[in-house]
Amino acid sequence: MAPRHAAVSPLLALGLLALAGVVLPLVTRDSYYLDVATTIVMSLLLTMSLRMQISTGQLNMAHISFMGIGAYTSALLAMRAGLSFWLTLWVGALVAAAFAVPIGAIALRLTGPYYFLITFAFSEVARLIFNNFFVDLLGGPSGLVEIPPPRPLLGVAFTGKLEQYCLMLALFLLGAAILVRLEYSRFGLAAGAIRQGELLSATLGVDVLRYKLTAFVLGSAMAGVAGGFFAHSHRVLHSSDFGLEPMVQLVIFTVIGGVGSIWGPVIGTVLMTVASELMRELRHYETLVFGLVLILIMLFLPDGLVSVPSRLVRALARTRARRGAIGVDVAT
Amino acid sequence: MSLSLLVQALLNGFGLAMAYVLVALGLTLIFSILEIINFAHGEFYMVGAFVAYLAFGVWGLPYVVALLAAIICVAAAGVVAERLVFRHLRGKTLNAFIVSLGLLWVMQAAAQLVFGVQDKSVPSAFSGIVRLSGVVISVERLAVTLAAATLIVALYAFLEHTRTGRAMRATAQDADAAALLGVNIEAVSALGFGVGCGLAGASGALLAPIFSVSPSMGALPVLKAFIIIIIGGMGSLPGAVLGGLLLGALEGVGTLFFSSAAVNLLGFLMVIAVLLLRPRGLLGGT
Repeated sequence: MAPRHAAVSPLLALGLLALAGVVLPLVTRDSYYLDVATTIVMSLLLTMSLRMQISTGQLNMAHISFMGIGAYTSALLAMRAGLSFWLTLWVGALVAAAFAVPIGAIALRLTGPYYFLITFAFSEVARLIFNNFFVDLLGGPSGLVEIPPPRPLLGVAFTGKLEQYCLMLALFLLGAAILVRLEYSRFGLAAGAIRQGELLSATLGVDVLRYKLTAFVLGSAMAGVAGGFFAHSHRVLHSSDFGLEPMVQLVIFTVIGGVGSIWGPVIGTVLMTVASELMRELRHYETLVFGLVLILIMLFLPDGLVSVPSRLVRALARTRARRGAIGVDVAT
Repeated sequence: MSLSLLVQALLNGFGLAMAYVLVALGLTLIFSILEIINFAHGEFYMVGAFVAYLAFGVWGLPYVVALLAAIICVAAAGVVAERLVFRHLRGKTLNAFIVSLGLLWVMQAAAQLVFGVQDKSVPSAFSGIVRLSGVVISVERLAVTLAAATLIVALYAFLEHTRTGRAMRATAQDADAAALLGVNIEAVSALGFGVGCGLAGASGALLAPIFSVSPSMGALPVLKAFIIIIIGGMGSLPGAVLGGLLLGALEGVGTLFFSSAAVNLLGFLMVIAVLLLRPRGLLGGT
């Protein structure tokens, strides 16, 4: 699958993405725009890593829970043990990955809708634990509050919107670089093979479970990083931050963008976030319009928004061929 | 603990579980025919409740008429949804999931625009209680359970003993083979979707007097329905009934010992255990 979009060199695309991220604060320092941009960049780390998992053929509905594990771990280590954010962020990611190993090993024994359902059940278990158990530690229904912001590093205080945006952008670009490197490697090829024919790949010697588990654990670690950032920038955690609703949002961003390409989630996340911000004025009509748009995109663009350019090219080629020589077989 | 307390707890659990089984049966029927998970199924339940609210609560029609109206209206809505949208998504689980989320929002937002955000209450159709050696059951819950059980038996009879029902089961087993044998699978899909939604509508109408009616009321029953069909086996009708009874027993008896959060947690742990030990559910095929 990887070479299909190889027309745009992956490194060039990544560079453009980095450039766009760096240029934004030069254009505006408005705190609302920076807020939205930070949210987008954080969501991007989540949706791109989710798409990497989907690229092995399976939708993990517990992705947001690993973000939660990273968030709670990082916050608690900073609050209870007094550790620095610059350490707890990575410890949170490691703990998320450590949870992902056994959970992935169990859940990945199932496929298709059953995998979807068991990961959903895991995510509900995690959410219920965040909300109702170990209340002294996790804060219970009223949430975990007064999480310290990141400590100053190299003389820069990370309490302002601009600094936090830059921090998240750096974390995202690191994650995106890893994901791009993976996509155009043996891993990407194997993932595509597994998605298109799991049994066949297995008979050809692809260690299906190993690839799936790698994707699961690595994706969870990235979700953990996003969670750590979320905890110390938001400074309050509620179990609902890691519930079904935000998870569904991630899936929508990813699938509307298109899971066939590594850039699909980027398109989906940016466009959908901006669109929902613009539609905020519409109140009740917002969900109505949003729902209709989802249905129409999935019906008419089943491969997501990322497939629009290639569809246009194909449609153009078809009309040109029709004009050129009527009766010539144009099916290629 | 006395025996009557245990029986009481079980009956409390079973009463609502039967109504949830109706939701679950529709979900499992649609899954077996179209191979899609319809997350908007709870919204069809919600529409059923609103139909009952209008017909029985506002216009004062007899409750049975309101129940029938809910079944018919929601089934018709289901057929429309299948023809317009879901028939294009047969077997495409991921896309169907997104579309059903879209439909969920459209239906919730539409209900909010029409009826407002305020919860509506529907008066009870039945009053009084029945006492049986220390066990107390309200007539209302008894009526809900009986009506749900009747509908379940009717569905079973339809699927087992009518030509259309057999065509539906054939499509569920293997749509291509069924089509080759002359089954009109397009018609069967539309009808199956309609029947499935109609059951959800019935459940909504039955529970409307017990819970308050609101645009977001579909979330809870659809969650329960998912647990029920996973435990029983997706696509299996007897499995859904068994799953409902088990969930009802767990919730009824569990609340005697644990907090409601712990009972919910137990429900999901049961789901995980079943998926691992018998991924196709307790009564699902291989």
